[in-house]
Order: sequence, then structure tokens, then C-alpha cells
Amino acid sequence: MSDQRPDVLALISDQPLDTAAIERFVLAPDKGALVTFRGIVRDHDHGLAVSALDYQAHPDAQRFLEDCCAIVAAGSGLRVAAAHRVGSLVIGDVALVASVAAAHRGEAFAACGQLVDLIKQSVPIWKRQHLADGASEWVGL
Amino acid sequence: MLVRYFAAAAEAAGVEEETLSADTVGALRTQLVERYGDTMSRVLRAGSFLVDGVVSRDDARALGARVDVLPPFAGG
Repeated sequence: MSDQRPDVLALISDQPLDTAAIERFVLAPDKGALVTFRGIVRDHDHGLAVSALDYQAHPDAQRFLEDCCAIVAAGSGLRVAAAHRVGSLVIGDVALVASVAAAHRGEAFAACGQLVDLIKQSVPIWKRQHLADGASEWVGL
Repeated sequence: MLVRYFAAAAEAAGVEEETLSADTVGALRTQLVERYGDTMSRVLRAGSFLVDGVVSRDDARALGARVDVLPPFAGG
């Protein structure tokens, strides 16, 4: 059936993300290329020093994340998985893991890039940024 | 209609949810800006509404029993 939903892994979690488990989900004996993107909390934004981030997700965020994975999996025919962390994160913490495996690297790089763009654009997740000077702000306003 | 607020929208409204009446996304948008002023206006400028499980920015979209006010997404 062409309308069958691709098998994907999508997870919203308040625990540290298990990159190896996400990669295991997409790997298969016929896959020669694995591309994983990790979004990491960095110490600066628009020229200001950042000390920490609080991520909040809408209760339906996991369904939106699944949709992103399913769209990319259906469009590329590849194995796709993603996980997003919520809660209080500090510099260096992994906020997003997105993995794609393919037979060859070109299609894996392209699909992973598309997946990350789609996640940023369409999953209802918000972050409050704590600045080094003590102020805090919602990102994107 | 139940209106639920998230993240910056909850902060702008000062509540997480309340009951309001509006027939469309556009009517709710106008009402929220009148009610909560510039802070809500900033949230809605690039924000969206979740209506029946679908994200909408269409002012003509009809509202049902529940709508969620979503600030601009900032995942990743």
C-alpha cells in the first residue's frame, strides 16, 4: 500500500538523548552511510553570552516530530529517526539528534539536512535562553 | 471555547488557559491583542494557532471547542 506510513523513531524526552540507540534504529546491513546531526546548546546567541536553555514542548510535539520523520522517510525512501530533549539544559548538552542512513553518503547528507530544517520549522518546541548577565528571553520573538 | 497558552504566550497572558469566544483565528488574534497588548502582539506576529490538530496562521480558519496559542517554534 502506498499510503502506508513509514516506520520511524521519534521521541521527545526530558532525559539525556541516546544517540547510539537512534543510530541503531536507522542502520541496516544495506546502509553504507550514516549521517547524524546533533544540535548542542552553545554559549552565545546574537552576540550575547548564554549560560543555559529551558526547552518546553507542546503535549503533541512528539506527533509533529513523527510527521517530520515520516515526510523525510517517505520522500527519500530512507530510514529516519529523531529525538528532541526538553527541560533545563546547559552548555554542551545535546538538544536534538537526527539520524538518517542510506546506501551512499549523498542521499544521507541531503535527507538529514532536510529533516533538521523540517523539525526546526514545524515541531512546537520553545526555548527560554538564560543569558550570562542574569536576564532571560524566549528565542524567536 | 478553551484557549490554551504555551511558553511565551502563557507568559504574555499570565494564565495557561481560559475560556473565550471567537469564531475564527482572526477574531481570536484581535481579541488577544486587545486583551494582552504588545507582549501578546509580539508572540502572535510570528506565532500560530493549533486548531483541530493542525497548525494555522489563516485568519479565516474557523475555531472549534479548543485552540492552542503557539509562539514561534524554536526547537533544535
